Amino acid sequence: MSMITKIREQNIPTPFWILALLVLFGLVLGIARLFLGLGATTNLNNGYPWGLWITFDVFSVPFSAGAFTLAAVLHIFNRKRYHGIAHLALLAGFLGYLLVVLVLLMDLGRWDHFYSVLLPWRWNLHSFMFEVSMSIAIYFGVLVLELVGVVFKGRDWMPVQLINQLIPLIAGVGVLLSCVHQSSLGALFLVLSHKLHPLWWTPILPVLFFASALFSGLSVAMFLTIVTRRALGLRAPMQLLIGLANVVAVIQAIYMVLKIGDLLVAGETALVFGSGWLSILFLAEMIFGLIVPLIIFTSRAGRSESGLLIGVIYTLLGLAINRSSIAWFALRAPAGATYCPHWIEFGIVLAAFSFGILFFALGVRYVPTLRQAALEEKH
Amino acid sequence: MTTMNNRERTVFTRRDILKLAGLGAGGLLLRPTSVPASGEVDTGNAAAMLYDATRCVGCRACEVACKEWNKLPPDAEPPTDLTAHNFTLIKQHQESPAGSFRKYQCMHCVHPACVSACPVQALEKHDNGPVVYDAEKCIGCRYCMVACPFQVPRIDWSKALPVIAKCTFCADRIADDRIPACAEACPVQALTFGTREQILEEARDRIARHPGRYLAHIYGETEAGGTSWMYLSAIPFEKLGLPELDSEPVPELSEDVAIYGTPSMLVSVAALLGGIYWVTARRAQHTPPCDDSGKEV
Repeated sequence: MSMITKIREQNIPTPFWILALLVLFGLVLGIARLFLGLGATTNLNNGYPWGLWITFDVFSVPFSAGAFTLAAVLHIFNRKRYHGIAHLALLAGFLGYLLVVLVLLMDLGRWDHFYSVLLPWRWNLHSFMFEVSMSIAIYFGVLVLELVGVVFKGRDWMPVQLINQLIPLIAGVGVLLSCVHQSSLGALFLVLSHKLHPLWWTPILPVLFFASALFSGLSVAMFLTIVTRRALGLRAPMQLLIGLANVVAVIQAIYMVLKIGDLLVAGETALVFGSGWLSILFLAEMIFGLIVPLIIFTSRAGRSESGLLIGVIYTLLGLAINRSSIAWFALRAPAGATYCPHWIEFGIVLAAFSFGILFFALGVRYVPTLRQAALEEKH
Repeated sequence: MTTMNNRERTVFTRRDILKLAGLGAGGLLLRPTSVPASGEVDTGNAAAMLYDATRCVGCRACEVACKEWNKLPPDAEPPTDLTAHNFTLIKQHQESPAGSFRKYQCMHCVHPACVSACPVQALEKHDNGPVVYDAEKCIGCRYCMVACPFQVPRIDWSKALPVIAKCTFCADRIADDRIPACAEACPVQALTFGTREQILEEARDRIARHPGRYLAHIYGETEAGGTSWMYLSAIPFEKLGLPELDSEPVPELSEDVAIYGTPSMLVSVAALLGGIYWVTARRAQHTPPCDDSGKEV
């Protein structure tokens, strides 16, 4: 009741309404997609059975990895000072995975058969599509529990108290499931050795996906903390963020060594410069997604709020380049096949981003425990 | 050819490293007993087909018979590619001076990538050869289309609730002791149906009898770990649009990682998390509760 009156009292700024309209529009498009079919609403074709929506999912899963990495920092490593950042990452993770599930539903030709994945006698344990979807489905349940525990913290409700008592176990299960599906998402592309360009195809794809999910998830948590604090007119908790930036830099360095080392072992270094525009994609990830942030995080620039913000933005740009290369650009299509997404495909992805931004902002603005999480960091 | 060999060798080195890492992490303990290792299955008695490109005259009787048997709708224009309504197709490849026809259809791999990829077992490899599809199970994720090294499975894009479509190897006819419709319709014996053993023998025999007529290679004997449909040709197979593939089954690495990698990861990460939690919880017990405990990560 008090929350409703509060919303009425406060003046809601225009961007909120624009985002809400985009979400509403996306909802209409989504329903149209379900009833009109893939051919009518997408430009997918026999040469490109996968496109923008799969790319969105393959990007959003590691983007949402902040929820599990900070759950580990908070509940497994027991660094309680990070609880504010962890709660923001949890909200972002919940929204991110919700969008993955919704966009995935758009992409299922037979969405009316989705229950098929839930029937144990149909499970194909060899299929990483099975492993990823099952793991994400269960992890989404974990995120709901974690979020309920945070949003209703302090309430005298038995389920909430139970969740908060069992939180190390719940968080542990979530971390475990995340480790599995973040790497399985990379393993999804192992069977495509004949289609995925050798600059990206490697037997260590699962390891690379896992490592990049770790540093990307932490980067998203840093990004959201800085941006939320700025929106509230507050300085960022630099000591905590620098702690995270150091971890990000270490994992980025390991990831880069693995990526380069793998090309050296495979004897494919010549491809780095000899693959046409794919070389540009590969080098763009290396330079903007890894080298630039590494320089920032390990230099004086990484001690300032703006420096960290730029560093994590470049990191996430690198993630976007990497995941879209693997799910789309570097997957070889048969000769003559072309694919440029339909405006409805773009519309739904735009609505998904709008949904994420809108509900993150609404959550931080109107849910007292989440607002508290954004406000109370020490400097 | 040398580059091909290089690639093979390096892939194996990298794979060995991966396998060792997986096993070391506890995969050995959880090794399931029912891993279907490729090559162990007796495929010699399964159904197979030989397409002899040197015999094919491009009459398209096979296409017509296929449409009839599978009750597929007619096309407004002659198809240029496999579609949801064309399970097979004859194309003329004129890259070489003589030109040659090639029949397109599902290869019914001995170890199919589509079957391995399908999350819900909507695609199944039957012991007697055919790779068959069950629309009731399918969720339409199209991973089979992406995974197939021969670009065979199609989805009916025009439908609101589509199904995957591809050659069935006339599994229903084979079960009835009849040969596939396309082979029955072929007027020049370009298609020979038999067991895989018989087909390989026949193909080797033709190559031996007419060394000038054929390349000394049976495409599909070893490619992608072997296929049920095999090809003889006078011109290089890649000119017929058949991809160059090594003898490793396409889904082998993926399946190894699923069977060994995933359980290894589960066990080792669970142990690691438990260990860290145990240490940090003990440390928290020994320090005042309000303390922020420890230094930066």
